[in-house]
Amino acid sequence: MEPGVSQAIRSFLADKGIQQPIRIDLYFSGCCDSSLYLCVDTIFETDLTLELDGLTFVINPEIYQVVGEVTISYVDEMGRKGFVLTSSKPVGEWDGFGVSDIKIQANLYV
Amino acid sequence: MEQYKLFINGEFVDADSGKTFETIDPGTEAPIATVAQAGKADAEEAIAAARKAFDRGDWSGLTPAARAAKVQDFADQITRQGLRLAFTESMNSGQVISLARFMPLISVTLLRNLSLAAVTKFPWEEEIPVSGNAFAPGREFIRREPVGVCVGISPWNYPMYIACWKIAPALLMGNTMVLKPASYTPLTALIVAEAAKAAGIPDGVFNVIAGPGRELGEILCTHPDVDKIAFTGSTEVGREIMRMAAGTIKKVTLELGGKSANIILDDADMELAVEGALFSNFFHQGQVCSSGSRVLVSSKIHDEFLDKMIKRAESIRIGYQMDQTSHMGPLVSKQQLATVERYVKLGKEEGAELITGGKRVEVKGIKGGFYYAPTIFANVNNKMRIAQEEIFGPVLCIIKYDSDEEAIAIANDSVYGLAGGVFSTNIARAERVARGVRTGTMWINNYHIFSDYCPFGGYKQSGVGREFGLESLREYTQIKRIHVSAIADHKSNMTFQIMSDYKKVEGFSYNCPTAVIAGHGALSSIYKAVADLGCRRALIFTDSGVNKAGLAQLVKDALVDFCVGIYDNISPDPDLETVDVATAVARELKADCIVSVGGGSVIDTAKGVCVTLKNGGKVNDYLNFLVLTEPQTPHIAIPTTAGTGSEVTNIAVLTSKGAGRKLFIIDTRIMPNVAILDPRFTMTLPKDLTVTTAMDAMTHAIEAMMSTLANQICDGLALHAIRLINENLPLVVADGSNEKARLSMQLAATMAGWAFTIAQVGLVHGMAHTIGTLHHVPHGVACGIVLPKVMRYNVDHVADKLALVAQALGINTAGMKEHDVALAAADAVESLMKKVGHPMRLRDVGVPEENLAICAFHAIADTAVIFNGRPVSDPNEVLQIYRQAY
Repeated sequence: MEPGVSQAIRSFLADKGIQQPIRIDLYFSGCCDSSLYLCVDTIFETDLTLELDGLTFVINPEIYQVVGEVTISYVDEMGRKGFVLTSSKPVGEWDGFGVSDIKIQANLYV
Repeated sequence: MEQYKLFINGEFVDADSGKTFETIDPGTEAPIATVAQAGKADAEEAIAAARKAFDRGDWSGLTPAARAAKVQDFADQITRQGLRLAFTESMNSGQVISLARFMPLISVTLLRNLSLAAVTKFPWEEEIPVSGNAFAPGREFIRREPVGVCVGISPWNYPMYIACWKIAPALLMGNTMVLKPASYTPLTALIVAEAAKAAGIPDGVFNVIAGPGRELGEILCTHPDVDKIAFTGSTEVGREIMRMAAGTIKKVTLELGGKSANIILDDADMELAVEGALFSNFFHQGQVCSSGSRVLVSSKIHDEFLDKMIKRAESIRIGYQMDQTSHMGPLVSKQQLATVERYVKLGKEEGAELITGGKRVEVKGIKGGFYYAPTIFANVNNKMRIAQEEIFGPVLCIIKYDSDEEAIAIANDSVYGLAGGVFSTNIARAERVARGVRTGTMWINNYHIFSDYCPFGGYKQSGVGREFGLESLREYTQIKRIHVSAIADHKSNMTFQIMSDYKKVEGFSYNCPTAVIAGHGALSSIYKAVADLGCRRALIFTDSGVNKAGLAQLVKDALVDFCVGIYDNISPDPDLETVDVATAVARELKADCIVSVGGGSVIDTAKGVCVTLKNGGKVNDYLNFLVLTEPQTPHIAIPTTAGTGSEVTNIAVLTSKGAGRKLFIIDTRIMPNVAILDPRFTMTLPKDLTVTTAMDAMTHAIEAMMSTLANQICDGLALHAIRLINENLPLVVADGSNEKARLSMQLAATMAGWAFTIAQVGLVHGMAHTIGTLHHVPHGVACGIVLPKVMRYNVDHVADKLALVAQALGINTAGMKEHDVALAAADAVESLMKKVGHPMRLRDVGVPEENLAICAFHAIADTAVIFNGRPVSDPNEVLQIYRQAY
């Protein structure tokens, strides 16, 4: 985590009144590019977990195998505000270009 | 291994940093070429080259035909490289060769088709015949000009074709371009660059830089010398590009993601629907933004459809992309493969039923490669992530529905809106469904059909703007409107005068095309007049009073067999509904000519009908100034009053209940074609109407003289009208059967009409319209009562004109000061009114005193007031005039 990230995540969780792990996941954001993103989620049995600065991060092991180590930074500048995720094995050439919020997996159908 | 360099300013060059990267064959994972890796310095150099090339003008300054000819040369050079391009495209992107072999052909066809359109169909200049601004006449036209330096960012699924989607319109429209192809698949773009050089496209007009989007994206999207960005890729990246472009207000075209619904209706041809669904989703391994990855199947045919889909999907041959027998090749990268696998796992976790596929495939004889089996999920709920998020792989979700409405609702329940399909044997039903889906393209009984002249692009988060067709050409131009003032004189410029104390408009245009036939027995001319207008079915409009007096019958008889009927349901102060009802009657009778026999209300109704009959719709659609561009339904006016002058004017006054006031159609094209002034038609006009309509005419003449638009032609007409009214009104009041005097009154009304239709009226009419609308005071009565008061109100601004009016009214002005003469004109008007028994006070015609204030507020907003000889902006001043008149 780059400086400022844990504070931003804590602030988000407090705002939503949630205390849940943060998942690092991969999603296809449309025509030709997938990207990493953060979402609030539960832990599954097979997940890899990491405690950092009091926050719990989880990632699917298959995704970890594809992307490698993930670096999270937070930006808040000139209309660009959110989290930027890059990985040691980039998922695509636009890795780290976009910013995103933390998603809430409300649309996860169970 | 082949080496590819960047193409900047007409030369193939190494990257400034010297860096290179490898690109691979996804079917074997083997590297096939090294490519110079552009960095920020290279991007800046390419942008600078494009900027210089644009500003130089040797491309942007060419005619469209000259550019098109050059682009055709470019197309020829691409054709020469066709085989190499097809193989490279297949090897680099994983497109099966049976698809890739078409890429050069369709790219060349696109270049040629858009070249043709750019020269023969694109409206580079458009005349605007009617500007919509009646206060600033002049020539109006638009030119479409290039935007400037365009950045094109193309994806890896159709590297060459989608690059050409951007190259073709950008270059044809005179722009210069920096193209950044996807880093997975840069090779064909660089071969296209070779073709551009061979074709002699000037240096700097077309540049290609290959490199990572993360590093190049910011510079390309924020550089001040870049004017437009055209991006095909993910919604997330597109969003960021749009945000970056906003900083310097760049134009942006985005073609982004999709999760299109392919709707199979219960009456679909089953075999066609299965093949269509298969093709919509497994074509090119599902790596197509428009894929129909949600297949919505009617519950009535679901099971049969699913059985057939499974069999058909399992028969797809997955193989190395260069093998001609392969139906599906590899995914483009291991990351893409991982993403697809992730989604398949997710689908299972979400509870969808995996029916077939869902695994990697090993291709016999090939070590490695990113092959994945065609995968079908059934029992998918549209809220599942696999139904909402684009997977961009061979994963199809089948969703059951019960009704067409439900299918549309499911289709629309997506943040995307790129494409979709409907399969049905009932085309009308399919089209109804297609119209309900909010998406940029709908295919009926087909899928993935891209056509060079048919626009493609997204609704919602699928994008902004369009590719293909004239729409794509427009995206690469901007519009310049040019206005050339009709009269280059500040004293004739009404809008400049807002900042000036000089309010008189000096220049003018006089255009009054009505043919006037006047005299005893003039009615007989109507038979020939109708024939000369090319008409055979004349409908008479009149009011019940005129009809009862037998005047409409006279006209009917004169029309012989040209008359199709008499319609007399027109009341005074007609409203919009009156016109619409009359129009319906005219349509029913297939009238091709309207003959109005009556006063201003009948003639104005006829004018409204002539416009609506010609153009369709309702009269409310045409309450505009100077917007008609063609002759209207022919109109012959036979006034029975003397009068509104409506038989020759360009105005129709209609009451709008919605607006609560009188509104107008003002247009030269509503002037009647012919006006027949036959004094027999006014002989039976009762005395009070004779007097009040005459004061309307007098008001027209005097207000035309006082108007800021007054001019010498109209002054001449107005002054003679004033003379004629002054001399003849007392005569017709004394003896209504004085035909010579009646004719003189008609001529006066007509001349006053010509005068005010060009010079306009003023505050008298603003005030008269108001009390007419609010208190149903007849127009001529209202005008007469208020006229002398307004003349006095205006005197300091129009003393010279009122002095002429005084002379026309027979006042001996010798030795008098101009100001006093002007005031005497007002006195003379009042004297005439008293002499002929015209009402003198508003209280005598039913206007309540307590309403005068609100009348003042309404009057000041009347359009006529704009032209009053004295500027009017204070409602209190108008209230004072109403009080004087009360």
